[in-house]
Amino acid sequence: MSSQRNSAIELDNVGQSFESHQQQINLFKDVQFLIEQGQSYAITGPSGSGKSSLLMLASGLEQPTTGQVRHVNQGQYQAISSLRAEIGFIFQQFHLLAELSALNNVALPLKLRGDKHALSTAKQWLEHVGLGHRLDHKPSQLSGGEQQRIAIARALVFKPKFIFADEPTGNLDAKSATGIAELLFKCCSDNGAALVLVTHSQKLAARAQHQLNFEQGNCVWLKNEKRSEGHE
Amino acid sequence: MNKHSFQLAWRLFIEDCHNTNQRILQATQVILMMFIVTLSLTSESVQSHLKHNLSNLLGADLVLSNKGALSAADLQQLTENSDDIIFTQSLKTTLTHQEQWQRATIKAVSQDYPLQGELLLSDSIGGEIYVATTSPETGSLWIDTRLAAGLNVKIGDTLTIASSQLTITHILQHEPDRLMEGHNVDMRALIHRDDFNQMGLADDTVTYRYLVNASQEQVNNIINWQESQLPSAQVRHKKGAHPLALFWQRTENLIGLASVILLFMAAIAIYQISNIQIRKEQHFTAVCMSVGATRSEVLFVSVIKWLIHLLFLFPVVMILSNILHFIIVHWLSSALPDLAWALDTQTALFAFAGCSLILAVFQVPVWLALKHATVKQLVLNLPQAPRTIVSLLSALSVLFMVTAVYSDNGLLTTMVLGSMFACVTLIAVISWVSLTVGETLTQKHSGLVPFALFMMKQRLVSKSTQIMGVGLCTFLLLFTLMLMHDLGATMHQYQRQFDGNLLVSQADSQQMDALEEWSASHRGEIRQQKPFVYANVVKVNGQAINDFSSRPSASLATLQQSIRLHWTDKVPANNKLTAGKWWKGKEDNWQQISIEEEVMTDIGLSIGDRLTIVVAQKPIEFTIVASHVYKPGAGSITFWVQMPASAVNFIDAPHYYMASIEINDDSVKHLGKLWQQYPTLRMVSMQEMIARFDATLKLVTQVISGFSILIISLSVIVMIASVLAYEPQERKKNSVIMSFGLPKRTCLSINMIEWAMTGGIASIGAMLGTWLAGVLIYQSQFSLPYEPDFVWLLSTLLLITSAVMVIGVFVSRQTLNSSIRDLLAE
Repeated sequence: MSSQRNSAIELDNVGQSFESHQQQINLFKDVQFLIEQGQSYAITGPSGSGKSSLLMLASGLEQPTTGQVRHVNQGQYQAISSLRAEIGFIFQQFHLLAELSALNNVALPLKLRGDKHALSTAKQWLEHVGLGHRLDHKPSQLSGGEQQRIAIARALVFKPKFIFADEPTGNLDAKSATGIAELLFKCCSDNGAALVLVTHSQKLAARAQHQLNFEQGNCVWLKNEKRSEGHE
Repeated sequence: MNKHSFQLAWRLFIEDCHNTNQRILQATQVILMMFIVTLSLTSESVQSHLKHNLSNLLGADLVLSNKGALSAADLQQLTENSDDIIFTQSLKTTLTHQEQWQRATIKAVSQDYPLQGELLLSDSIGGEIYVATTSPETGSLWIDTRLAAGLNVKIGDTLTIASSQLTITHILQHEPDRLMEGHNVDMRALIHRDDFNQMGLADDTVTYRYLVNASQEQVNNIINWQESQLPSAQVRHKKGAHPLALFWQRTENLIGLASVILLFMAAIAIYQISNIQIRKEQHFTAVCMSVGATRSEVLFVSVIKWLIHLLFLFPVVMILSNILHFIIVHWLSSALPDLAWALDTQTALFAFAGCSLILAVFQVPVWLALKHATVKQLVLNLPQAPRTIVSLLSALSVLFMVTAVYSDNGLLTTMVLGSMFACVTLIAVISWVSLTVGETLTQKHSGLVPFALFMMKQRLVSKSTQIMGVGLCTFLLLFTLMLMHDLGATMHQYQRQFDGNLLVSQADSQQMDALEEWSASHRGEIRQQKPFVYANVVKVNGQAINDFSSRPSASLATLQQSIRLHWTDKVPANNKLTAGKWWKGKEDNWQQISIEEEVMTDIGLSIGDRLTIVVAQKPIEFTIVASHVYKPGAGSITFWVQMPASAVNFIDAPHYYMASIEINDDSVKHLGKLWQQYPTLRMVSMQEMIARFDATLKLVTQVISGFSILIISLSVIVMIASVLAYEPQERKKNSVIMSFGLPKRTCLSINMIEWAMTGGIASIGAMLGTWLAGVLIYQSQFSLPYEPDFVWLLSTLLLITSAVMVIGVFVSRQTLNSSIRDLLAE
């Protein structure tokens, strides 16, 4: 696990802006941010403040208007695209494939990679998230909380170094949300993966080791438990 | 129901016009309507042309034609019912000049010809045309332009017919008594009656045509008299039907029936799109109802919107149909001279109205679905179930309507619909079996192929319709290609193997002797020789055959005009008994016959039916006791109607023979002498048969190629419709796959695998369907064993699968443009 922990994503003075009705709108600027494996990060702020945009920049889905996003691998800088296969996502709407059973949904990332033990590994993960008795159920037969557990198992089953979660509890009731939050943090920690989540929930954000808050174009660290040596 | 409803319908229509689903639906509708309107316009043009052609070409108010001259009493009867009467004699023969020969009809006339109209002549093929003031004089021959070109002769050349030397004095450009018989206009030559009579031809080989000027009342009298007293003769009159009218009616019906395939494919596309449309319209209805509108108001808006769509399709369909109509008329004008394009608004409007009815039936499931739209759906976000049963019923109603309109012949309808149904069932079964077996076998395996198989199995209904669309298209294309590829080769090889390269279709005993002598001296070999008498069927169970079977059919026309009646005591080696019991040798009861199975089905005959057959002007009643079919392997000369050998003792009629001869290629050029000596001898060389066959095949190929373009267009539409129907799910699937850290090319690979499998399964289904249809049609229509070329079929399979994969990936490109951003944005 220790060698895996050498990967990080560095956001170096990144800024994001867009044009609307011939007006330049700045979402944020000069964000300096290092995402390290094994750490958890929460991004909070009101709607439209740029939380999701930052998540997309950090995961390499979009390019920043200014600054750069890089993969730091054992002290060496590489393009963020080199990390593409090591990133997993968890969505607010779960986005399980309706045609597949719980087991096949979780096994899917491994099957597509040609893993011969895809089904047994997926079964272990479902047991790990407490759904060992729901292997053959289709998403439509499961509750929202159960679907999100499957989504967490699916995102982690291929052992990504980084997990990006967009409002993972946004569609769940309070009780389910607590359970899911616990599971999500535990699984990422056990797996040595970095967790970056975007949320409106202060309760969920408080669980993260680092919390970055967006407010009127400014981004402020509300919590920063541990910082990596050599970076800021 | 006020002007606001119309305004809303108009706005919704404008929105629809920007919607891809609607554009695909409109394309489907345009193709369907264009096909039906063009078919109606073409058919109407041909029918009205034939009607006009009949009045122009008949050259008399009524023509009665008969094999052999009428008796004095019959002639007296005819004369009493006419103002004026003349007759011509004609003979189908082969004219030769040096090493060229051409089949032609020689017509003998006297100075009284023509009765109506004018003869137009020229002094060379492209020379100036002038009106003839006389008819041909003795010793002279007037030949038509095509015959002159075919024989490579000019004015002043001499032709020998039955030892008579006749000099070509004029080129015949037009004669009024030139009624078309069969599909082609025969090449012809006019000679003087005295020259003809000097040839000493048997009277029963000569067709006598009596041209009569008569009032309507006299025409009616002649028809009544002919039906009761001279049923074996044929009467054509200006108010009657053209002999080709039934042929063209049959052609229109056949193409109309084939349109069932188009409708079936359109139904698949419309079903896919209407599921999207239903969701959209139900949502719209629920929203309207949540703001106080009634369900009937929303339904009214939906119907108005549909009518506006129809109104906008109208000019597109009319323009395209008329362009196609123009092209087809131009193409047909080589077979039907003087056929010209003309605007026919009435027929076009009528056909468009019929098509609108079909489209309305297809739209019914959407309108019915509005009944189930509720506000509750919006509150609870309930999914709408696809209305498969209603869609299926509406598609079946349309197919039934079209079949009812175009069906004139039970056998043909059964064959067309049966082979289509077999192909559809076959493709459905193959899709289900291959996806189920593939998915089960790869369930425990990882990789892209098992995943693609799994997803296809999960979307079995959608995939099956996709495969069906592609499969039907492939089936039709493959069948056309296969026919062109195999049939020519098989026919050629088969005929050579069993029948030699010269087929004699009519020779009397003297001519047969001469043929034997000729073939012996030219190192030829007579392979088969079978006797027959000419006859025609006039009644079935005492009822006139026309009244017994009023449906147009090729069998009916042939039975009425002329059949070859063969006699034999044993079932011929190349026949197989399919029903009834064959007579024993030396049977006392000679008035029994066996009829070919397809003729029985076509006319609607059964074992035990009594047929009145006229042989040498005498009616004889036969009972059908058996039915037979052709069996390959022992020569191809076979007869529709066969009777016991003892029957010839009671029938006084000239005997003829059919025969097949194998001759050297070098001897072919010496055939001319036989024809010169025996003008009534009918034989055709293998080369000529292949040329005739190729010409027919070319015609069929052109028609089917045109049809295939429509099928391909609809097939692509079916593919697009099925992609559109599952676009949101596909986009989500691709985005989810990319969220696992996999690159976009993984999605592309899965997509390519899915399309390759779709194409592969469809091609295998189509190939099996083609093979099945090949076996059935080759055997039933051509009585040939089907021997497919597997290397050719496999190459075609690969080609089609690749084409489907390329088109499939192209039409799915929108679903491949998805990204994880889409999932985050939801």
